[in-house]
Amino acid sequence: MTRLLSAAGVLAGAALFWAIATSGIHAQGSRLTLPDWTGIWAMQGPTVFDRASVQPPNGRAGEPGVRETPPYTDEWEARYRRNIELVRQGKFPDPVSTCGTPHGFPRIMNVPDVYEFAVTPAAVYVIAENGPNVLRIYTDGRKHPAAEDLWATYNGASVGHWEGDTLVFTTISLKGSKDSDVIVDRTGLVLSDASRATTRLRKVDENTMEAQMVIEDAKALKTSWTVTKRYVKQPPGTWAWDYACAENNRNPIDASRRTLTLGPDGKPLDK
Amino acid sequence: MNRITRHALAVAVAISLGATVLAHHSAAMFDDAKVVEKKGIVKELQWTNPHVWLQVVVEESGKKTEWSLEGGSPNTLSRQGWRASTFKAGDVVTVRFNPPMKDGSAAGQFVGAKFDADGKTIGRWQ
Repeated sequence: MTRLLSAAGVLAGAALFWAIATSGIHAQGSRLTLPDWTGIWAMQGPTVFDRASVQPPNGRAGEPGVRETPPYTDEWEARYRRNIELVRQGKFPDPVSTCGTPHGFPRIMNVPDVYEFAVTPAAVYVIAENGPNVLRIYTDGRKHPAAEDLWATYNGASVGHWEGDTLVFTTISLKGSKDSDVIVDRTGLVLSDASRATTRLRKVDENTMEAQMVIEDAKALKTSWTVTKRYVKQPPGTWAWDYACAENNRNPIDASRRTLTLGPDGKPLDK
Repeated sequence: MNRITRHALAVAVAISLGATVLAHHSAAMFDDAKVVEKKGIVKELQWTNPHVWLQVVVEESGKKTEWSLEGGSPNTLSRQGWRASTFKAGDVVTVRFNPPMKDGSAAGQFVGAKFDADGKTIGRWQ
C-alpha cells in the first residue's frame, strides 16, 4: 500500500510539475516551438508605404505629385497636401538624412536594403539594415507599461503573442510627426502622436514574410487603415552589413529645407 | 574575383539603380527624366555609407572639372556585384547620370558606366 501511494504521489507530482511548467510557459507568452524566420529578407517593391492606394499606380515616394489615400481627417488631409506641395518644391527633406534619428514605426517596416527577423522565446526583433533600426517586440507575457511610465519614442513600445505561427503585436507610444520630423514615407505621409498599430507578422511561404498593419490614429485618421508589406527571402549566404549613416553623409539639409550635395572637400556643390 | 567576372556579375544583377539607390534621402534634387553622359578619369570611389561616391575628372574645352556621382549604399551595391575595387583611380570611363534638378552643379545620381579599357559596363547601360 505504501508503495502504491508512493507511486501515485510520484505521478501526481509529475503531473503537477508539468502543469506548472506548461502554464508558466504560456503565462510568459512563450511557446514550445517557434517559427523559423531565418534568413535575409528584402521588402518587395519601392518605399511607397501603401502601395495599394498609391497614385499614379507605379509612383515612387519622393517623386512630385505621388500620393496615397489614407483615411485622413480633413485637417490631416490638408496637411498631407501641404507636404505633397513641399515635395514638389524639393523642400520636404527626409529626416533620416541627418543620420541622427531612426525611421520609427511604422516606417521601419518600409525601408530599403535588407531585414532580419530574429525570433527568441521572449522577444522578436525586426532588424532593418537601413538606418540601422531595431524593432523590439516582447512576447514574454508582459503588458505595455502604464501611461505614466511611457514617453513617446520613434519605435514606440510593442508587445505581442503568438497565434499559431503568426506574431500579433501592438505598438503604442509613438512620437508621430510634429514638424515632419518623423515621416511614414517621402510622399509626405505622416501620422500623429496618437497613432498605434496592431500588426500580424507571419511567413506566408518559404520565401515570403508578410506584415499586415492595422493603424489607428484618433487625431489623423477617420477609420483604421490597413497596410500590408511583404518581404522576399534573399539567396542563401546573403550578408547584411553595417549601415553607418554618418560615415560619409554628403547630403545635409540646409536652413531652407533643401537637401544639399557636398563635394569631396565638404563644401556644397549646389549653386 | 577578376574584373571581368565582377563586371559580368554586376551586369547580370544590375537593375534600375537610378530608381532605387538613394535610400537615405529624397532623390528630388536629381532629374531622373534626364541622363547626361560624360567621359573622364576616375579619381576615387568612396566606398562609404550612406552612399558611395564616384569622383570623375572630366576635361571639356581645356577645363578639368571633378564630378561627384552618388550611388547606392555599399551594402546594397555589394549584393548587386559591386566591390570597393570596382572603380580604380586612373580608370577611363564613360559615365551616365541624372543631373541636378535645377542648378547645374557638378554632381549627379549615378546611372551606369562603361570602362574604356575593356568595354565592360556596370549599372544601367542599354
